[in-house]
Amino acid sequence: MRAALNKYRHVFLVGLQGNIVYRWHFTLRATFSFFHLIVVFLLWGAAYAGKTEIGGFALDQTLTYFVTMMVLQFFISAFNEDYQISEEIRNGLINQFLLKPVNYFIYRLSIFGAARLVSGLLAFVPLLVALPLIHDQLAYPGEAWRLWLGLPAAAMSALIQFSIAFCFGMLTFWFLEIQSFIILSYAIETLLAGQVFPLDLLPPGIYRLSQFLPYYYQMYFPVAIFTGRINDPAAALGGLGLQFFWLVALLALARLLWLRGLRRHTAVGG
Amino acid sequence: MNDKTNPITPGAEHSREPARAARPNYLRLWLASARYSVVRAMMFRMDFLMWTLVELFWMGVNVAMVAVIYRHTDSIGGWSQYEMLLLIGTSMIIQRLMMGFFWSNIFEFGRNIRTGHFDFFLAQPGNVLFMVSTRKLDLDSLANVVVAIAVVIYSAGKLGLHPGVLDIAAYILLLACGLAVNYSLIVLAVSLTFWVIKTEGIEGSYFSLTEFSRLPREVFRGLANVIFVYALPVVIVTNIPARALLGGIRLADAAWLVAVSAAWFGLAVFVFHRGLRRYASASS
Repeated sequence: MRAALNKYRHVFLVGLQGNIVYRWHFTLRATFSFFHLIVVFLLWGAAYAGKTEIGGFALDQTLTYFVTMMVLQFFISAFNEDYQISEEIRNGLINQFLLKPVNYFIYRLSIFGAARLVSGLLAFVPLLVALPLIHDQLAYPGEAWRLWLGLPAAAMSALIQFSIAFCFGMLTFWFLEIQSFIILSYAIETLLAGQVFPLDLLPPGIYRLSQFLPYYYQMYFPVAIFTGRINDPAAALGGLGLQFFWLVALLALARLLWLRGLRRHTAVGG
Repeated sequence: MNDKTNPITPGAEHSREPARAARPNYLRLWLASARYSVVRAMMFRMDFLMWTLVELFWMGVNVAMVAVIYRHTDSIGGWSQYEMLLLIGTSMIIQRLMMGFFWSNIFEFGRNIRTGHFDFFLAQPGNVLFMVSTRKLDLDSLANVVVAIAVVIYSAGKLGLHPGVLDIAAYILLLACGLAVNYSLIVLAVSLTFWVIKTEGIEGSYFSLTEFSRLPREVFRGLANVIFVYALPVVIVTNIPARALLGGIRLADAAWLVAVSAAWFGLAVFVFHRGLRRYASASS
């Protein structure tokens, strides 16, 4: 067990070094996200003109939602893990994992963890620059339970995001090109994970439905706990249960696709 | 046109006039690229369908956003729901035209500078910028131009608009100016590759800027107004055509957009040619 942990600790450390190489890339990306935040502030600021609340939330609460989502994204979102995995399958890099006692899923997960640590911390650079400007717009509720339920929710969201990316990477066993699948699914995720608008603004029936889909748990759920859009600890706890269900389901799917894919896989050359 | 140098239709009529050989027929060149793109798309039909679907979904995201926000408010910057949808449809038309005609060509041009494959374009008889920009078309984006136009027509219908022929002509002209601005911005950004070899992440900047194109001009205040409405032409490219369709054309605005597109296009051509002088191919 110790040996196994040690194995993946090394993968994590190598991943850390590998991702620090891309520090400019991540910082640039985070900076573009702040342009997106300007759009969000302008759009929602105008939508709130002459109103004190939309969907029961004040302007600063809604802006806090978007800022939190943006920052959390850099800590838990899968960026290009699906492409990387796809490349490794195509290039035959996975062949070595068939011979060594290294689990490919955990190997990639360790690198994902390292990458998110780097990109998450780098996202604070533009945030700190912008903080004097947006500070007055931030309104966080203070209850302690939000932290105790929100952190595990965020951790499970990260695992869900990674598992989805892993599953898309696995499609490489069956399809030559997976980019269109990924971007198609990304459009759905963007919408149903609450990146375009807080999901609670949807018509009640659709909102209820969205709570049963995995997308809800991949971003919206932890952000809603942190920013006060979910106010009932019992409901949050129930949400954690459903989130756990989706996590297990996606992990199982990832495992299934890996095993099935390997059957189709032919390792050519050396 | 000089058919000897045109690999696409070898053996067609041979030009006897050397003067004509110096000036290729750009329309025919472009049509040949277009035909090649159609053939290619038909070879990879599944791919074409998938990418058309992808773009359709992304347009759906924007339409859904409008639908949801307007459940809770009647106006954004004085624009009603269908006015806003018309604005977003307008921005989609420009963006899809941009993607359809130029996007991948210009990014390939950036990559080619890095790899040295750009030599191939320099060897071609014809304007380099034209050759670089019109190599192929993305048909899936062009298919979605139709959907974007449908969004605009639907919104106009909901608003009870009855634009005359002149209004529509003005709208199309202003859209063309918007496209020219978008094209110029991308050429400018990618031309930087002549000076700094690493220009990854520039696509991100383009998509960040086009997000501003989907907002009504009226929501910009203070510094944001100075930067995004006046300094960078990202807001007026969509707002002025959309306004033209909504409330009849305002001449001052139209003149502004025409002048801005001419200026940015001129700047892009200038920077591109300055960069071209620096190009020294790649060593390997």
